This record gives sequence, C-alpha cells and structure tokens, in this order.
Amino acid sequence: MSEEIKRGKEHPLSILANQAYEVFLELGFEIALGPELESEWYNFDVLNVPPDHPARDMHDTFWVKDNTAPRVLRTHATSVTARMLEISAKENRIPCAFVSVGKVFRNEATDATHEMQFFHVDGVMVGNLKDSVSLANLKGVLAHFYKKMLGEDVEIEFRPSFFPFTEPSIEVWTKFQGKWLEMMGAGMLHPNVIRNVGLDPEKVQGFAFGGGLDRIAMVKWGIPDVRLFYQGDLRLNQF
Amino acid sequence: MKISYDWLKWYIPEAPKAEKLANVLTYHVCEVESFEKRGDDTVFDINILPNRAHDLLSHQGIAREIASLLDIKFIDPTPKYKIPESQPTTLIKEIKSSKCRRYMGRVIRNIKVGPSPEWVVKHLESIGQRSINNIVDATNIVMYDSGQPAHVFDLKKVKDLKLQVRDAKEGEKITLLNGEEKTFKSSMMIIADYEGNVLDIAGIKGGKYAELTSETTDIILEIANFDPVSVRKTAQALNIFTDARKRFENDLSPELGPYAMRELSALILEMCPGASFEDVVDVYPEKQAERKLTFSAERISEILGLDVSRKEIENILKRYNIEYKNVEGKFKIVVPPLRFDLNTEEDMAEEVGRILGYDKVKSKIPKINFKPRANEIYKKITWIRNKLLEEGYSEVMTYTFSNQGETEVLESASDKKFLRINLTDGLKESLKLNKINSPLLGLKEIKIFEIGTIFLKNKEEVRVAYNEKEKIVEMSLDEFCKSASPDTFSRVLGKNPQTSSKKHAGLAQERFSMWSLFPFIARDVAVWVPESVESSKVQKVIKEHTGKLVILEPELFDEFKKPASSAGGDGKVSYAFRIVFQSMDRTLTDTEVNEIINKINKKIEENKNWQVR
Repeated sequence: MSEEIKRGKEHPLSILANQAYEVFLELGFEIALGPELESEWYNFDVLNVPPDHPARDMHDTFWVKDNTAPRVLRTHATSVTARMLEISAKENRIPCAFVSVGKVFRNEATDATHEMQFFHVDGVMVGNLKDSVSLANLKGVLAHFYKKMLGEDVEIEFRPSFFPFTEPSIEVWTKFQGKWLEMMGAGMLHPNVIRNVGLDPEKVQGFAFGGGLDRIAMVKWGIPDVRLFYQGDLRLNQF
Repeated sequence: MKISYDWLKWYIPEAPKAEKLANVLTYHVCEVESFEKRGDDTVFDINILPNRAHDLLSHQGIAREIASLLDIKFIDPTPKYKIPESQPTTLIKEIKSSKCRRYMGRVIRNIKVGPSPEWVVKHLESIGQRSINNIVDATNIVMYDSGQPAHVFDLKKVKDLKLQVRDAKEGEKITLLNGEEKTFKSSMMIIADYEGNVLDIAGIKGGKYAELTSETTDIILEIANFDPVSVRKTAQALNIFTDARKRFENDLSPELGPYAMRELSALILEMCPGASFEDVVDVYPEKQAERKLTFSAERISEILGLDVSRKEIENILKRYNIEYKNVEGKFKIVVPPLRFDLNTEEDMAEEVGRILGYDKVKSKIPKINFKPRANEIYKKITWIRNKLLEEGYSEVMTYTFSNQGETEVLESASDKKFLRINLTDGLKESLKLNKINSPLLGLKEIKIFEIGTIFLKNKEEVRVAYNEKEKIVEMSLDEFCKSASPDTFSRVLGKNPQTSSKKHAGLAQERFSMWSLFPFIARDVAVWVPESVESSKVQKVIKEHTGKLVILEPELFDEFKKPASSAGGDGKVSYAFRIVFQSMDRTLTDTEVNEIINKINKKIEENKNWQVR
C-alpha cells in the first residue's frame, strides 16, 4: 500500500531566512555566505572596531585557540558582507548590495532572550556618489523589509546610536501590534570601513545594517524563549 | 547613568516636563532606560552612547545638550563660583608616567570635616549616592555635575608635600578605602609620595593610607586626566568598578580640569568659610590641540538623503555655541574641546541628523540597477532542504558547541568548549528526544535533518545530515547533490531559489503555542464494535470524555476485522486509539489518568455490543 508522503516541517528560522532573502533579492541584493570561524581582521579590524574595544574581550567574543593568527566565532555576519565588498572593489563592481543571513556567536550567559548562538540578517549597499545611497535609502529598504516580514501595518523609526563601523549610526525600531521594539543596528558605512575594503570614501558611499533573525521570529510568532530554536525539538516546527 | 531632574533645572529652568524630556532624549540623544518620580524629583536612567561619554556623563553636560537641542536658556554656573583668596604653595606634583595627561593639585588648610549641607545630601541621594562627609561629597558633586572625577588626600600623610603619578612596581600593594588589598603589575599607574606610600590607583580608586578622618584639617585636592585604555585595563585586571573609572575609560578632555578645580574650590569654600587656599598646581605637559573640521551642507544632505539648508546648519552651530566660519561655501568649525566624537564630515552628518531628528529622513527605496549574481552554495542548500522536506523529513537546528572536538574556544561561559566536528552527534540527540515525543507529535516515524557548519582542524564545512531509521547519514553538500540527476539539479539551480515562504508573507496570524515542560502519559484504548460502526463514532465517544488534560485528538492507530464469514469471526471490528495526556503546570499521576480511562471505558460499554478489549 503506497501512502503519500507528508511534507516535513521546516525550521522556523529557515522559513524566515528564506523570506528575508526573497525580500532583499527583489531589491537587487545578492546573497552572501561566509565562514563562521572568522579572522580578527574581518570580524573587527576591517569594521573599524578599535584594538582595545570592549567587544573584543573574551567575555563577549569566542576566541579560538590557535597557534597562527587569532580567530573568532563571528559576532555578526557583517564580516561576510565586508568580504564581499572587498571582492566587489577589486572587480570594480560598484554599485553593489549584499545580504547575509547566518549564525553568529556571543560569549554570554544564556536565558530566555540570550543565546550563545543565534541568527543575524546583515546587509550592505554601496554606490558611487551619483547613486547617492543615503540614510533615506536605508530607511526605505528596512521599512520595506519589516513590512514584508511582520505585516504591512508595521511602522519603523530611527533613533540615535553608536557603532564603530557606521557614521551616522542609528537603531531601528519597529512598531508591531502597538509596541515599539528595537530590532537592528544600522547606519551609513564609516569612511574607515570603506577605505579598509579598498574603496575611496570620496567616491562611494553606502549603508550597513544588522540584527537578529531569532528576534523577528519571537516577535512575529510569539515564541517565548530563544533557546527553543536550537534544541532539535520538532515541537518547534509549527509553521 | 542617573540624572536628577531637579539638578538639571538649576541650569535649564525652562526644561520641559519629565516625560517630554525623556522623549526628546530618546529621539535626539540616546536611550532613556527609565524615569521615575522620587519625592518631588524625577530621576532618569540614561544610556549615554560611547561616542558621547566624553561630554555627557554629567548633569552639566546633559543640561548643555538639552539647552542647545531645544534652544532654551542655559545658566552657566561658573561665574557664580566664589574664587577663594590664594597663597603661594610648596606643593610639588610630578608626572612620571606617559599615561597621565594632566595633573592638578591644590592645598587647602584649616578645613573641618563634617556633615554636608542639605542640598548636597539631597543631590547625591537623588542619584542613588550616599553622603559621606562634606569634603568627599564635594568631590562627588563635582564629578556628577561636571563629569570630571576628583579626589582628596589628607595632607599630613603626604611627606614633604610631594606627589607623583608613576607606573607601579611589580608586586607593589595598596589597601583600598574598603580595606581590600590589591597587588599591582608594572603596567598599572598609581599616585604615590616619594617614600613609597601608595595613595591611589590612578583614575580608579583611592587608598586607605591618605583617607580623610574627622581629625583632618589640611587637604590636597587632586584633579587629573589619564589615558583611557590604561585605566580600563588596570580596573579590569583589578576588578574594580567606580564612577571615576567609568569616566576616565571613556576618555575625558584634559581641558575639563580647570572648570572642575574652580567648582570644587568654590564648594569647599562654601562648606568651610574659614579655610585658607593655596595656588593651584597644574602639570600639563602637552596641551590638547585645537581641532578644526570642514563640512558642507550639500555633503550632509547627500549622506542623510534629506535636504538640509545652510541656514538650518548655521542655526544648529549657533545653538551649540560652535565657533564657525564660511569658507568657499563650506563650514569651517572649531570643535569644542570636549567633543572628541566630531572628527569628520560624516560625524557632522550624524550631529545634524540627530539634532533635526531622524523622523525628518523619509523612506526612499533606492532605484539602482544592481547586477546580483546567484549564490551557488545557497542554491544547493535550498535544493537539499526542499528535497528532504518533500521526502517527509523535518528540519532541526542543534548546537555548534560540543564537549569534544578539534577546535577549542577560550573562556566559554558554558561547559561545551569545543566546536562540533559533525552534525551526527547533535542529530542523534535530537532523534532520541523526538522519538520519546513521537506520541505528542503524532508521528509514526521520526525523520529529521540538519544543514549546518562543522569545524575540522583547519577548515569548516557546510554539511547535511539526516536519519535512516536509527542510522544517521552525514555528507557534504556536493556529495548530497550528486544523488540528483544532473538534469533535475541544473534545472533547480537555474531558477531562483525555491522557498516555501510565500504563505508567511503579510500579517502574522499564526501564533506559536508553547508546549508543556511536564511529562506526558500516553494510553491506548481498543474497542470491539459491530462492523457497521465507523471509527469516527467511537472516536467521538472518547473525545467527549477525555477531559481537559488531553493534548491531541485521539488517534486511530490500529484497525482490524473478524468478519462473520471467517473462522471464529463474529462480525466485529477492533479500533485502537492512542490518547495523550499532559498538563501545562504539573506532572500527571497514573491514578488520575487511570480514572479518566476507566470513565471512557465505562462510557464505551454503555453502547450495545461495544466491548473494550
């Protein structure tokens, strides 16, 4: 007796990752994937994080025992988009835009809202001056993104913030079901970063953003605990 | 950082109401963690951003920012400070460490240590600080008011009135004010006399040796400026957290010193009118250079994507008391000494953006003709995921960390210190868990897969793993993709990645339902009924009597007939149902589940010719 095979259930974060990619592909972004175990250069230096910055402390970042160059478990996927920018600079492929959804790591005690591993959606867009990629474009892209992810009635706003790799830096907040929630860090790429990937800040400008995918899933579906994503428990696959 | 509303109002009497003020800070300066009424006052808890920690970790700093932001009056307290008459001094201060940028001191004699005036106690208490005595309180008021930490030593303890800032000797020790002893490394910086008595860990915390007592009559004020990295590293190594550390490690301007010295002197004069002051000693080897910055309204408009006029920028510069000139259509400004965050045109774009408000920046989707390339790895992953889903496999994600492996992480907060070398181990655990839960999942067979990165000695690799019954099969993406007929595969790869996400677009109508963390109990009920009775009828009877503790529909998992025609047959059919019980808030007992099952059995047998097996 042949029985029709019932389709299996996808992990909720895969559903969202694919959805995020779809949204960004439609806007002209290119998917970028890269190593999870990353060099100090791509995780920190290239992004203008000062040598003595607290984020580099072992308390915050997983460093790996290594006899050669120091390596870290990437703390964001901006390392991947930075690698792609560097390649694009060499290939003279400006304007360009990249998005990377991937696993990132932080060395911290876990609880309902903190995990040692989680997923980030990180992206960059860089153009020549005539393309005038601006903060207004960043807002346009992210407003579109969150509407697609959380619903057309979602509002977004920018609030002042600080990150070493962006200037100006902003926090992205969304209003979902009547409540304002912090979702991402973003801003215009810092001239030092543009220089570090081999481009000329006098000739190109662009933006970068990054934030948790787990967070979107928790907000969207009301999943109460970030740790549920990594238990290998099929009861999570409800969607 | 705690900020008192009443304290702010000394400087900005026209400040808006607390709630409005919190809103202004949130949208133009930084996050306000909370604000709450305390007595007649309101206290804000503000998260100053790292790039503004040079000038905003103080009441005056915040007050100046708000005054400029809202274009309201700022009352400068400086002209009101009483300047004491001053005598020549014999105090000697020496900088012997490259990590000290400025070192100011002042001898004051004839003071009286005692309680503080009421306003001082009130100010300190409003921000959660305890009053200690008038002199110590004065130093704390100055820090929370101007942002500059200050310290006081008992003059009698300082031999020959000679003090030095120097690097510590390896193994040198200090006993702190709280009695705790700390041992120095040579990379650390201290304040000491020339007899080897250590008075202070530079920029971090004072020692017991020269502490003020009720007997103290003569004191030395200390206001200094230290290298931020040195202070942070020392404090971190010694595990000391103080408000002074917090300010120094964020990099303060040495130009702040004289203001703080003037304020501190005036405060002590107010508290001890009979005190006699000596001249201020100021060792300042390299004066902070004046910084200039050039930017244009056009460039700022390009960065923000918002048309900002020259007039608007001029208005901002005036409000912020920033000296500027117009040079060839550009603004040339003298950066205020405390504003270490302003160095480039981009910094000015941020300054203008946040002051005007980012709500002025309107969403605009870029219209650029990008030429994106397809990502081959992502295509493979998507193809593999879809193939496995179609074959009935469900996707899981397990931990990257493991208790064994080839790559070890340093200082992990967890006991799993290695990066996984396979997906198999994690998937095995997942399989075990889901098998136990299979009655809950309503699955006869557990089929799972994971796609993820593993870490071998000198490389990482993305793999896929899935189970075949008990066995786990794991391979690289390429290996898996070989199993595809080249034709199918190339067709899939030629298209945009297939996803199943379309149905999830739009409003989030689906909500997650959390499962119980307590064990479940599964029971089977099998019933003989006449052949003409359909299973749904039996199921209905069961459902009606299972009560609230049942968490799944009773599931028909077995059915067989004994037709009347067959040997020994009596024309009946057996239906077997599985019923799963679980509570959201406790562990169920056998007894209570048995009671429910007995009740169901009884109800079943009330039907003619129905018989529980």
